[in-house]
Amino acid sequence: MESSSESINYYGNKPAQQVEDREKKLKPTERANTARELYFGAKSSASMEFPYWYTRRWDELDGEIPIIRRAESLKAGFEHLTPVIYPGELLAMGKASFLRGSYPMPWLSEAFFMAAEDRLYQEALESGKLTADTFTTVGKGGGNVTKSIGKVISIAGKFGLRVEEMPVMLEVAKRWKDRSVDDVGHKYEQMVPGYKEKEAIMRSVICMFDSGYTLPQGREVMNYYYPLQYGIDGVIHICEEGMNEVAGYPEMDRLYFYKAVITMLQGLKAWIRNYAEEARFLANLEKEEKQKAEYSDLAERLDHISASPPRDFHDALQMIWTFHVAVLNEDAISGLSPGRVGQVLYPYWKRDMDRGILNREKTIELLECMRIKFTEIDCFASMGVVGGVLSGNTFNNLCIGGLKKDGTSAANELEMLILETGISCETPQPTLSLLYDEKLPEEFLLKGIECTKAGAGYPAWVSNTVAMEFLLNNYGHEGMQMEEARAWAIGGCLETSPGSWMPLNLDGEIHWIPGGSAPATSVGVHFLSLPKILETVIFDGMDMRTGERIFPAHGLKLESYDELWQAFQNYFSRAVHVLTLTNNIQHDAWRKISPSLVNSMLKPDCLEKGRDLGQMGARFNTTFNVESCGNTTLVNALASLKKNVYDEKNFDLATYRKAILDNFGYHTAQETGSWSLIDQKPNEQYSEYQRIHRMSLDAPKFGNDDPYVDSLFKQWEDWFCEMTHNYRSLYDQPMYACQISVSTHAPMGAVTLASPDGRLSGTTFSDGSVSAYPGTDRHGPYALFSSATCWNHSQSQNSQLNMKIHPSVVRGREGSRKFLELIRAYMRKGGFHVQFNIVDSRMLKQAQADPDKFRSLLVRVAGFTQYWVELGKQIQDEVIARTEYEEL
Amino acid sequence: MSKIVNMNCTDCKYYLPVDVFKGMCKLSKQDILPDDAFCDKAERIAKCKFCGKYTAGKEFLGKCMATTLAYPDMIAAKCADFEWSSQN
Repeated sequence: MESSSESINYYGNKPAQQVEDREKKLKPTERANTARELYFGAKSSASMEFPYWYTRRWDELDGEIPIIRRAESLKAGFEHLTPVIYPGELLAMGKASFLRGSYPMPWLSEAFFMAAEDRLYQEALESGKLTADTFTTVGKGGGNVTKSIGKVISIAGKFGLRVEEMPVMLEVAKRWKDRSVDDVGHKYEQMVPGYKEKEAIMRSVICMFDSGYTLPQGREVMNYYYPLQYGIDGVIHICEEGMNEVAGYPEMDRLYFYKAVITMLQGLKAWIRNYAEEARFLANLEKEEKQKAEYSDLAERLDHISASPPRDFHDALQMIWTFHVAVLNEDAISGLSPGRVGQVLYPYWKRDMDRGILNREKTIELLECMRIKFTEIDCFASMGVVGGVLSGNTFNNLCIGGLKKDGTSAANELEMLILETGISCETPQPTLSLLYDEKLPEEFLLKGIECTKAGAGYPAWVSNTVAMEFLLNNYGHEGMQMEEARAWAIGGCLETSPGSWMPLNLDGEIHWIPGGSAPATSVGVHFLSLPKILETVIFDGMDMRTGERIFPAHGLKLESYDELWQAFQNYFSRAVHVLTLTNNIQHDAWRKISPSLVNSMLKPDCLEKGRDLGQMGARFNTTFNVESCGNTTLVNALASLKKNVYDEKNFDLATYRKAILDNFGYHTAQETGSWSLIDQKPNEQYSEYQRIHRMSLDAPKFGNDDPYVDSLFKQWEDWFCEMTHNYRSLYDQPMYACQISVSTHAPMGAVTLASPDGRLSGTTFSDGSVSAYPGTDRHGPYALFSSATCWNHSQSQNSQLNMKIHPSVVRGREGSRKFLELIRAYMRKGGFHVQFNIVDSRMLKQAQADPDKFRSLLVRVAGFTQYWVELGKQIQDEVIARTEYEEL
Repeated sequence: MSKIVNMNCTDCKYYLPVDVFKGMCKLSKQDILPDDAFCDKAERIAKCKFCGKYTAGKEFLGKCMATTLAYPDMIAAKCADFEWSSQN
């Protein structure tokens, strides 16, 4: 099973003779190229300005009503942020005073960035909150500050903090002890019966992380309507009217909500005006006329949007970016999707084009600037979250296509330019998702193909039909009907999220623009390692890696497949039960201590109801889910056991247990330093286990249109999607299934012993949710599609299929047509999502060996695109190992 | 513009931070390092350590108005209480 650079394909497919690059790409404008070069040279940098002022104000207001206290603290943070504007920027503003700036939010959680010997850190480690951190690899290159150097301290293997700010960071963090969402939630989650089981689950990394204090918001779609329609002063006026209506009447929380929104908006106004002042300062310094004029123009624009609705496309783009950053600054957030921006901004763009004040070239320049700004976003989080889940990405997903309110195609000329700039200015963010519908014009779809072929991994292709069916099933009881279902978009990397149509009035004409209308659609039980749960079933509730008991012994002899399956269902259900309850408590602590204000103001119908998102102010609130990881590895393992133990009786379970503990006679992945199956090396026990390992590898594998294993996959999916509805969220709504791996298949694989499908200890699980395990799909893409659609995808919030295609296969116009037909075939079979890496695997090997030469190389992981050099080795190895299709 | 010793570029109002390792000069547009010494065009930016209400404590920590946690290198350009100290 050892690999060589000559034959890297799992089953011996011979690669083409020469390493092939992707098809020729467009180039970015000079402005965007300069900005991107600056980005390439910049490191992720943390600062303490915002958390200092937030904490200082919080402490000054002891005794104040919590939501007012929160608003005042946010205001203090925003109005004290030092503005930084880089030369050539047409869009300004950022999270903090660095290009890739971010900051700790100790009001959410403070333990993970304390020193390892600190008591807070040790307590977090003991309770299992940080176990995933220790099994995560973070990319060694790009913008990651992987180790402390000189006067810079490395935090979580990614963020640099100047040594001058370290003492204050620790002081501020300690002030939040017993007051942060993490600490308060932890205090009360221990009251859940069976809580100790939850800690064991976390320590074993059966569950990846708690969502309530790590990433309490995100995986949702922004709604920019209110500031676009009313401007900030207009929204303040709405809140003042609201206060007048509710002051002194029952449900007094509405009064405090309106007051809090006003306070927060005053902070935002100051923040924007500080940037305007900085732009004026720079204009005064500037000698070069063009740059001087741009600074002046920027200052005037920022001043304008600090109060009023946008006047043109450029204003509108700046405004949505400003509010996007503002939401990101109120919580640790991943997956805050801008949504269907090309449709939201189209009325402004069309009007400017008709008036002759905007042209195609200027639009492209602005859209490329937008891509750079989104790429600058970092999220300050623990190593397990930022590396093991996010791979350094933050999943700001921009959707194109889909349908309008009236059911006709929503694709437009601006979206064609968004695709164009996705090709010309390749950056990880915003990633693009094309909401595929049969009504979309061929020209638009072929433009999408051109972009996918360029190789940056976007757009992902997502079925509009499947998504709407899920939405109507999930939100019908909250009043969603077909027309509103059409307003959906992807939140985060792949979370189907509800939207609503908002009546944008421009010059007296109503334009129905889509925007998100729910809070985070992916919080709750995140993520559950299916292969690890099966491991505990095989070993009677024990984690044999650590020797710790996780679940009570089932005491079953597992004499039939049905008994094995029932035992798995039992352990899985126990995990979901206790994690649902503990997460509900954590999210309750979040909404009480750190309620959303910026995002609440934006989402319908919070302003109308006078309630924030945590008080179900949004239109749709069925938003908690259970996320799985390692679907295909689980089912392949079940198929192997069914065949080898129960149907053919080639081995008994005791033999499997021994083989698993001895890793089928191989060194572990930790020992080899490589994380994919193809790179593992046998040890002296190999011959003892050669037969069982070979038969495990040869057992039926998902992805080959084989009913033996596909029927087990369907059984798993039907049961999983249904069982999640039995659990209730904090908002007393049924939960639902979510099936994306993001990057969790790496650290979760790292702590899992060998599995009965022949996968070896520590190696990465299958990616996505309906992807084949690397190298095991041997009957072509259409067989893979048949397997992937053996169940109804609309039962789940998503499904995820990742494919890797050699660039030669889709080259030229004929290749484009063939490629589109391939995607169309999958969508017509009921597939929800497919995404592609168009890359020669040998190029990835070269990039792994010589990363400095590949700083700009992008690859698709699982719902997101990332710079190769910023990926951890676990994920790099997995992407290299994926089956590479050399014909369609 | 006054020459000031023992100060570095991060103390200057013309310093544009790119990341924790480097920045740019807003005047010259050249790449500079945060620990580069003040040049003859440099001007101090408002920081806690230049404020008359700031009292230094142990390394990299201090007090604002004798009561509130503060730290010397925080930019205080947007702080309503900032006042230039007469001592530096």
